[in-house]
Amino acid sequence: MTMKIRSRPLKTRLQRLGQSAGHYAVLCAIAVVCVFPFWWTLVTAISTEGNIFAFPPTFWPKAPSFENFIEVFNAIPIWSFFKNSVLIAAFTVFWKLLLCSLAAYPLARLKFRGRKLVFGLILATLVLPSEVNFLVNFITITQMSLVDTYTGVILPNVVTAVAILLLKQAFEEVPQDLIDAARVDGASEWVIFSRIMLPLITPWLATVGILTAVESWNEYIWPSIVMSKPDEFPLSVGVLYLRGTFGSSTRVIAAGTLITIVPTLLAFLFTQRFFMRGMDGAVK
Amino acid sequence: MKLARRHTLQAWLFLAPALLLAAFSFWPVGYGSVLAFTDYSLIRETRFVGLDNFRYIFNNEMFVSGLKNSLMFLLMVPFVQVGAITLAVLVNNRLPGIRLFRAAFYVPVVTTVSVVGIMWGFMFHEQGALNYVMMTLKLVNAPVGWLSDDSLALFAVMFVTLWRGLGWYMVMYLAALQSIPSDMQEAAMLDGASRWQRFWKITVPMLRPTIMLCSILSVLAALKAYQEVDVLTQGGPMNSTFTALYYAYDQGLKHLKLPRALAASFVVSLFCIGIALLCLRYLKPKHR
Amino acid sequence: MTIKRLLAVFACASLFAPQAGAVEKIEFWTFSMKPKFTPYFNAVVARYEAQNPDVKIEWIDFPWDVIQTKLVTRIVAGTPPALVSLNVPWADEYARDGLLTQVDGLIAPARASYLPSALEDLRFKGRTYGFPMYSNVAVIAFNTAIFKQAGLARGPASLDEQLAFARQIAQRTGKAGIAPALSKIDGLFMQQGLAVITDNRAVFNSPQHVALVQKLADTYKVGGLLKESLFAEDNFPAVIDAYKGGRLGMLLAPPTAMQRIRSDAKDIYAITDVAPAPLGPTGIADGGWLVHFAIPKGVPAQLLPSVGKFARYLTNDANQLDFARQASVFPTTIRAAADPFFLATPRNAGAAEKAVAAGALSMGHSRTLYVAGIDDYDELRRSLVKAVEAGVTGKQDVKQALDQAVAIWNRKLATLPRH
Repeated sequence: MTMKIRSRPLKTRLQRLGQSAGHYAVLCAIAVVCVFPFWWTLVTAISTEGNIFAFPPTFWPKAPSFENFIEVFNAIPIWSFFKNSVLIAAFTVFWKLLLCSLAAYPLARLKFRGRKLVFGLILATLVLPSEVNFLVNFITITQMSLVDTYTGVILPNVVTAVAILLLKQAFEEVPQDLIDAARVDGASEWVIFSRIMLPLITPWLATVGILTAVESWNEYIWPSIVMSKPDEFPLSVGVLYLRGTFGSSTRVIAAGTLITIVPTLLAFLFTQRFFMRGMDGAVK
Repeated sequence: MKLARRHTLQAWLFLAPALLLAAFSFWPVGYGSVLAFTDYSLIRETRFVGLDNFRYIFNNEMFVSGLKNSLMFLLMVPFVQVGAITLAVLVNNRLPGIRLFRAAFYVPVVTTVSVVGIMWGFMFHEQGALNYVMMTLKLVNAPVGWLSDDSLALFAVMFVTLWRGLGWYMVMYLAALQSIPSDMQEAAMLDGASRWQRFWKITVPMLRPTIMLCSILSVLAALKAYQEVDVLTQGGPMNSTFTALYYAYDQGLKHLKLPRALAASFVVSLFCIGIALLCLRYLKPKHR
Repeated sequence: MTIKRLLAVFACASLFAPQAGAVEKIEFWTFSMKPKFTPYFNAVVARYEAQNPDVKIEWIDFPWDVIQTKLVTRIVAGTPPALVSLNVPWADEYARDGLLTQVDGLIAPARASYLPSALEDLRFKGRTYGFPMYSNVAVIAFNTAIFKQAGLARGPASLDEQLAFARQIAQRTGKAGIAPALSKIDGLFMQQGLAVITDNRAVFNSPQHVALVQKLADTYKVGGLLKESLFAEDNFPAVIDAYKGGRLGMLLAPPTAMQRIRSDAKDIYAITDVAPAPLGPTGIADGGWLVHFAIPKGVPAQLLPSVGKFARYLTNDANQLDFARQASVFPTTIRAAADPFFLATPRNAGAAEKAVAAGALSMGHSRTLYVAGIDDYDELRRSLVKAVEAGVTGKQDVKQALDQAVAIWNRKLATLPRH
């Protein structure tokens, strides 16, 4: 095959720099749109002086202090909100990892009757418009007397198709010989599952765990439906309660908002690769 | 064969908890659809009423305009996808600091929707940052009521939905881009193809499955939009930001008119399942 | 092994639902009371608990835009709060749907102490559904300088006079005379004794209705009505701005508006005089908006006497007076409304104090005006407002516009289930 070598002038260093600069400029512009609301909220929460909605608005904190944050702690039961968020997230992660890995194992490694059917049904839930289900789930939860309980919030979210599929992939990466060897040794499926498979997919469990924790922390609509007492609200719901009650104290609301999102942002920044990996798996 | 049967029993034992999935995913669809044809109420015996609820909601301005608004949300899909692909291409390199940009674009996705609503409530305020920027750039002369003007509010809500979604799709496209074998690109480069040509002739076709998948997800998300409405405008001003599903939420949980709410969500479900089935039938993915 | 045991304990812990106590507990809900009235309600609860040691009261406050969803959740769950604060249109809908408990028996010991007009507001299908808490009423403030210029000596005594004065003001001074909230035209009709719906049919295209709208149109034509935001959902900000700027002759507003004028426009405040709002032929004063405590369905029957006792305490003369003073609203008990705090005007009373006195005098005539019994009523109201707008601004013949709106209403009313 003859290669056509078209002569092209080599890019000068300047041209390359120019391209890079342009590239960065575009990236920065978009990043500003993505990040500015957070920055503004931070500035508002930390400042204690000046009109919030002044023209021109303050882009830099004036008279910074933690006054507003302290006010938030005094004014609303933010520790309760925080505790509720943490507990709900923790329980959701625990039960989800347990139940979804239990469900994923046979799909990955066992032959049984009805396998295709179950697999199909799980895929079908991806197609179902699940957001629409909140009404009937709400009726179900009330009939089970689970209003105002953590269980009521967690139950509908604890087994999801995405988690099962991700964990199924994880199990499939474990070499079959390990399982065969264990079976030959007479180990029961439960032992294979708990002693061999689970420990081997720890990175995947971590991925699903982190994704679940963030999703649970950020969930708003369902907890706001299930919980009717402000004391039981998680942060995501509590912060709106804050806005409703303190409509006019924008700074306090801004402070409360930051308290809500800082944990997720920190978790995200430190575990970015888990998110990206989770996405990779989903794309496959 | 005994081995297979033993596995069957055990397999089903393992799968037992997955029944929860069925309970909270399939049951609502079925039961909800049935209830939509009744006058389910807390105080009376439930009776079958046929299409009455549907007749009511389709005669109701809030639901009909809500349905129209949900369809308006579909306008966003091309913007979201093109934007996400662009972002993915822009960050698909090893420039220093690129990880920071990837994180910045993804941050709106990991922020809870209630906080997003509060922050953009600040931005869209009459004396907020957005109006300041637009007035400084002389794009408008007076403060615009982004959330208080009934001709603009829907677009403000749509924008926030776009802002929240871009990063998520960007990551999907990024993963897909990074899985494109580089030898094809290199061969094309040696052949003298320009960047533009390389993009359109190689990258885009290889992205096709992902584009299909993301577009479908985006369309479904647009039809089901309602959380942003709840945290930004609560359906106002003058009911201009109602969406079909927000109507269901409002009727069911504020006014306890469950049959109508279920009828509305039934309609939304029909749309979603219909579109999903159409896509699955005609756009079977080439690789699994 | 210990990890497994730990996990097991952890798992079991998550199944624990927060337990409710078994003591006689009364939970009552208010909306939009925190943070300003936190001390008030905490004090009320503390006093009651001290006097009734066998009862534990829990107070929860919600933003007004979520209280309905929370109430619905609890009603469906079967654990509603004992008392919930509602406004009258909400109560009308919930009562219609069978979600409220009637309180005729529980309110009986204190019935005579409430303003009859307030109790009327809470009567649905012949039964009472709430304990009145607070309401409001409008007064009419007028700019004496503009009046003098227009040759008017006193405040108007009826709607017709309001419109006539407005026309005179426009002709002699070039300024607008009055700015009625025409987005609430249904309330205006009802105040003037013209029903909006009769027997499930829209009837607002009768000759009397047409005549009223025509009068509005005539006043509009000569500039008597303030044009800004005349048909907006909430025209109050524009109206009070116009009055503060000296561009409006008369202002129909609750007495708290006077305080705003006092702080924002001292010169206008100095020349403002106040009169009670004109009563319509029905004897109803404008501006009523009753907030009350209702008992949702599902409150255990054995708890009801206790709940009733607390509700009567919550809405008794002393507490209502206390609250009304702090919140600048009006109480709904006869004695509290007649308290010297409202009626006694100091020697050099400005408009604000006079307004409070005028308002207190009118409280007996204050009713919450709204069209009852229709789901999703707002949609209908909007078509009526659009028709009135077309007629008043002269874009369409008044009778024609109203006829069209009546057709729309009747189409919708025909599809509604009968209650």
